[in-house]
Amino acid sequence: MHLRGFADVDFSSTDEHGTHSGFTLGQFVLHVASPLSNRVAYFGELSFTAQPTSYTADVERSIIRFDYNDYFKLSFGRYHTPINYWNTEFHHGLWLQTTISRPEMIRFGGRFQPVHFLGMLAEGHLPSGPLGMGYEIGLGNGRAGTISRAGDTGDANNNRAWVARVFARPTGLRGLQVGGAIYGDDITPTPALTGNPRFSELIESAHIVWTSETPELLSEFANVHHRDTLTGTVYNSQAYYVQLAYRLPWQQRKWKPYYRFEYMHIPPTEPLFSLPDFQVKDLVQSTAGIRWDISDFAAFKWEYRHTKRGPTDPIVNGAFVQTSFTF
Amino acid sequence: MRKAASFWTSFVVAVAIGLVCYRLSAADTTKVEDVAVVVSPKNAVQSLTLSELTKIYRGERQYWRTNLPVVILFRTPGTYERDVVLRTIFQMTEPQYKQYWMSKIMRAEATSPPTEVFSTGMIKEGIAAIPGAIGCVRASEVRPDMKVLRIDGHLPGEAGYPLH
Repeated sequence: MHLRGFADVDFSSTDEHGTHSGFTLGQFVLHVASPLSNRVAYFGELSFTAQPTSYTADVERSIIRFDYNDYFKLSFGRYHTPINYWNTEFHHGLWLQTTISRPEMIRFGGRFQPVHFLGMLAEGHLPSGPLGMGYEIGLGNGRAGTISRAGDTGDANNNRAWVARVFARPTGLRGLQVGGAIYGDDITPTPALTGNPRFSELIESAHIVWTSETPELLSEFANVHHRDTLTGTVYNSQAYYVQLAYRLPWQQRKWKPYYRFEYMHIPPTEPLFSLPDFQVKDLVQSTAGIRWDISDFAAFKWEYRHTKRGPTDPIVNGAFVQTSFTF
Repeated sequence: MRKAASFWTSFVVAVAIGLVCYRLSAADTTKVEDVAVVVSPKNAVQSLTLSELTKIYRGERQYWRTNLPVVILFRTPGTYERDVVLRTIFQMTEPQYKQYWMSKIMRAEATSPPTEVFSTGMIKEGIAAIPGAIGCVRASEVRPDMKVLRIDGHLPGEAGYPLH
């Protein structure tokens, strides 16, 4: 059995009205990987998150996978939804990602895209020679009534969510990955909205990444399409980010400056993203920072964020520091 | 007088021998030797491209064409074979290699990094016991019960062989 942990300690200070500067303890994450036989393996990820009065423990992933060969592997469990590159590349290991924060479009506890997915997933390579193509096709519960949650204890309706992703990792251009995904679901919000409407959801996403670090480019786009099944009204929300970083050649390649631009647009009348407690707002954000790998398994990150949300919201500037590590 | 001459003669001879040994030793450490890719004789594969070998070692290809699981036997840090594999196949440093496998396991793409072995003898035993095993050994240490694969059409010692 392979056991590994990730943790981080953060400091933040912003000029947002009503907030306080200070330290926070990030998620404490344990990851387990265990081969059960030559062709069967288990993967688990458990997180502990500090809350005002206690800690919450969450099973982030719990997957059992049966391999037939490189072209077909079938698994069951709770996943990070393969609708978003960041979501499936870095999971809860903040040390793995260059920046302190995740992009808003896929932040933990966010609602724009479903972070988790409970069900089954088929994955493998596609015969494509040097293109190095792969696929993932999943069927599961999709979003719960509270749309930031996966339907861990059962689906909110009788319609299953589905997801399909294809990607290419060309062998001649190591570090490059290009891909796209599509996700469909029916959402029954809880508490019910006026008139008790249901919504069909279709998410299209695409990504292009270059992870060589000299330079590093991460870029993703997603369109979230909701249709009110009572009125037929359609709402389209878009989000994208572009992140650039470069591993500097000096001082044993320990320094990596980075910059990320994020954009998110939500129609003002979008009912699922306008619930008072779960509002998802427009966003225009620039993030600039530098990462210092103090050892092979620990890093310091300093980050500045300039954030503008709704038209009437003030601009927020923030400074953030994090030390993240794996053990 | 004779004693002094004898001492100096011995001293010069000792220094000369020391210098010769040092040069031979320096030549040994810089000597380039091909590294052979070996599998079980029961494995049907005869040759691989360097690209295919890279996919296998990086855990991107986890099964042989016969659906036999690949088991990588990798020498421990500090060995010549490991240095060659890291430089020519992974194109990574030792820390980058560790981080690569940690990320891969976190993404649920593998359950563990390649199995590390301490000697060529352990690779020999592993290949004999595990039908899908693959390892790299110095060409001079290939044993009769190991099948050596052609890489990009070349065997170790031939011009154009890429692992050295």
